[in-house]
Amino acid sequence: MAELHIIGQIVGASGFPYGTLFCKWGVHTGGAWRLLCGLREGQTQVDSPQNGEMAFWSHPIDLHYTTKGLQGWPKLHLQVWNQDSFGRCQLVGYGYCHVPSSPGHHRLHCVTWKPLGSWQEQLAQTFVGGGPQLRTPDLIYSGADRYRLHTIAMGTVELELGVILRHFDRYGVET
Amino acid sequence: MAANNPSVFLLMVNGQIEEANFPEHDDLYCKYCFVYGHDWAPTSGLEEGISQISSKGRGSVQNIVWNFPLDITFKSTNPFGWPQIVVCVYGADTFGNDVVRGYGAVHIPLTPGRHKRTIPMFVPESTSRLQKFTSWLMGRRPEFTDPKVVAQGEGREVTRVRSQGFVTLSFNIVTKDMKKLGYDTSSTETLQPPSLVTEPTYTL
Repeated sequence: MAELHIIGQIVGASGFPYGTLFCKWGVHTGGAWRLLCGLREGQTQVDSPQNGEMAFWSHPIDLHYTTKGLQGWPKLHLQVWNQDSFGRCQLVGYGYCHVPSSPGHHRLHCVTWKPLGSWQEQLAQTFVGGGPQLRTPDLIYSGADRYRLHTIAMGTVELELGVILRHFDRYGVET
Repeated sequence: MAANNPSVFLLMVNGQIEEANFPEHDDLYCKYCFVYGHDWAPTSGLEEGISQISSKGRGSVQNIVWNFPLDITFKSTNPFGWPQIVVCVYGADTFGNDVVRGYGAVHIPLTPGRHKRTIPMFVPESTSRLQKFTSWLMGRRPEFTDPKVVAQGEGREVTRVRSQGFVTLSFNIVTKDMKKLGYDTSSTETLQPPSLVTEPTYTL
């Protein structure tokens, strides 16, 4: 079976209108993929940057997959959260990116968005915070039901991923 | 010789901890150590080190320069648990106590060649206001008892940090027998133009 190693970091996020940020992340794959080693989901530290507006997480990722098929190449999905001074957490962005299929080192910028809600909800949000969230978070990485949503652009999450492939060439797979 | 049928591959890491950018601190030194998985073992070189104390340049160089050498070789059978370097920066506060100014970690680059990495440095913060007050009163700031936690992905959701600087590292990587074991680490695509490959420098 072919093997895939994903080794890297969720570096941090910039462009969000909030200072103190953390990120919940996970990896979604198709049925042919099996995780041998590593954590497939997690949550980063909460960073409030001293200078500058980029929050840094330096969250390590180290995953070892084997696969029998190419369908469902791993996707990384992210939820960026803000923690306010009272310790309350609110969602500030969803995003996903495909794990690169070519081996080597990759620097990725994952754009994010969040649901907008009705004008009443937006008004309430400006006073008390919070805001609408997805009931089914798999909408982050599937394109099936997106058309009913109205979303707003949020910041960018930066990732550095190294990809190592093994025995893909044995099956004639060109990457 | 088992040169034809290798079972382990080697990763040779040469490099240096070049410099640091901490806008609010001066007279700093750093420690480094490596964190790696079960299948990995160092074959030669130093796993830990501690640098000199360095001050900021007075002239055009505003960074703290360490120019501290790294030289280590690892062997492994499996890329899982690829080594990470953990860097901790310390300095004296106004009362002369050694306090931590930043923790940071990065994976050793996977591909052979020359690489430069700028890693963000952060310190843990107290979560409660009472703790914040007592640590201010006693002059003792929160630290990690084991700096290697910054290279682990588990249990980080409970840590609150403040990022406050950067450390620049350069690496020269040589691997042996990875191709023979079937591992493909570098892309066959044509190289990107150098303007796209260079690391963007973070601005403070």
